[in-house]
Amino acid sequence: MLLEAKAVSKAFGSFFAVRDADLFVDEGEIIGLIGPNGAGKSTFFNCLAGDAVPTTGKIVFAGQDVTHALPEVHARLGIGRTFQVPATFEDMTVLDNVMVGAFLRHPHHNDARDRARQTLELTGLKAHTDMAAHALGTPGRKRLEIARVLATSPRLMLLDESLAGLTPTELQEAIGLVRRIHEMGVTIVIVEHIMEVIMTLARRVMAFNQGHVIASGKPEEVVREEAVIEAYLGRGRHSKRRRPT
Amino acid sequence: MKNVRALTPTVLLAAGLLVYPLIFSGPFYLDVGVTFLLAAISASAWNIVGGYAGQVSVGHAMFFGLGAYAPLLCYTLFGWAPIAGIPFGIAFSVALAVLIGLPTFRLTGHYFSMATIAVAELIRIYFGTWDLVGAAIGLQGPATARGWWDLTFRSELPYYFIFLAVLAILLRVTFMIERHRFGYYLRAIKAGERAARSLGVPVQQVKIKALALSAAFTSIAGSLYSVKTGFIDPESGFGILVSVQMVIIAALGGAGRLYGPLIGALILIPLQTVTNTWFGGGGTGLTFILYGGIIVLIARYEPGGVSELWEQVVSRRWRRKHAS
Repeated sequence: MLLEAKAVSKAFGSFFAVRDADLFVDEGEIIGLIGPNGAGKSTFFNCLAGDAVPTTGKIVFAGQDVTHALPEVHARLGIGRTFQVPATFEDMTVLDNVMVGAFLRHPHHNDARDRARQTLELTGLKAHTDMAAHALGTPGRKRLEIARVLATSPRLMLLDESLAGLTPTELQEAIGLVRRIHEMGVTIVIVEHIMEVIMTLARRVMAFNQGHVIASGKPEEVVREEAVIEAYLGRGRHSKRRRPT
Repeated sequence: MKNVRALTPTVLLAAGLLVYPLIFSGPFYLDVGVTFLLAAISASAWNIVGGYAGQVSVGHAMFFGLGAYAPLLCYTLFGWAPIAGIPFGIAFSVALAVLIGLPTFRLTGHYFSMATIAVAELIRIYFGTWDLVGAAIGLQGPATARGWWDLTFRSELPYYFIFLAVLAILLRVTFMIERHRFGYYLRAIKAGERAARSLGVPVQQVKIKALALSAAFTSIAGSLYSVKTGFIDPESGFGILVSVQMVIIAALGGAGRLYGPLIGALILIPLQTVTNTWFGGGGTGLTFILYGGIIVLIARYEPGGVSELWEQVVSRRWRRKHAS
């Protein structure tokens, strides 16, 4: 067991954004989190990444209790994350962005630069190496976020809607990239609205609604569950890529 | 070839600063030169935490003042050579930096800026009533040199070269930081703290280190000032104008850039000298107006300062040259 979240709840005042959520991730899995906006996915996600401290519950990563650990400690232990709204370092070059990640395991400048260049090649950003991050555009910046996390050599990667807002071609490329990262031995938890991504990538899916986990299992099974259809897909089951509002 | 081109500005700058006092050897020009160097040192020291890490301190006068009082206090109390007080100034400044950084760096937003202003003002007011440090009158250094170690010279020329050496060391340190993991982490914190943490940057620790380093060099600047003038009072050590000048010079030249503060001082100090000499004693108020005007111009038109403006001009010319 790589990651174990037990009965995690997160309350803001008297409002529970997440209530009693469990998640067990084995090494080498790809797990999808789905659910409509405001279902608590992102809050749960932030708890896993150390950005939010759960009100109750416990999170264990690789045998270590990380419930109250700082985000930077999570990174050091091997949990990497991306942000829903890309949080790239805008005025820094693409290379420098990735180098910040690479420095985590390679304290020396030249080693970090080599590692960063290697990561840029792998993520298809090599042509943009010396460009400022803000010049990349949203798809590029999402890719840069993935590259930056990858440079920290994570064991577990948390992707928060990293594939949203892409054109169909970009989407296929991005799915290919996530697959490659997975093949490198990185375990992946992915939050995504786009069903196509979840159905093609995830082996196991958890559906959230109003802070609760309402279903979990194989993607084909979960999307067939009545509660999920009600909460997330609405009645039109065939509108696969429709984003609920 | 690339290395030669990258080194050109450094060589030109060094040559210019070395030759300046030999060409402009009059006492007035020497005084402007020394004032310029001191301003460049202070602003470059501020730049480490305020520019690179984006943690805008508006109270760096507290470190400058501690550094300025330490040598003259050591002289007054124990009769030591003033320079013997420099390490004490550094030690107190670094301790104060850690003390301020620990609680305020946990908060985001403008709390750090506000806290620095408040602490600097508190210290200024306290020193103004504290008899040990001369209260409102301040402290004086040796009137005549008892030996070379008192660093009390008639001419400003020795001070010019001492200050220049300190500036060179500080810029060398900053240059090394830029290349180091530490420098990358500083820039990452400025660009986005949350993202930086998610990549394993120990934000709190890096910020405190930056503030401590910045405080140490600002303290040295203060010591140099009081050793040279042989006098210090609460206003010239801890006054808000001392803090604001560092911020303005760095922002004017380009905060978070190696030569930004130097360029800022190169513009501001002559300008300030002109307003002060033209308008005599009435020019003091004018300094505030000048600072205000510069703040407005930088904020409105070029947040990156003169360095960035210059880079834009160069890249536009380069593009035009290669387009045709």
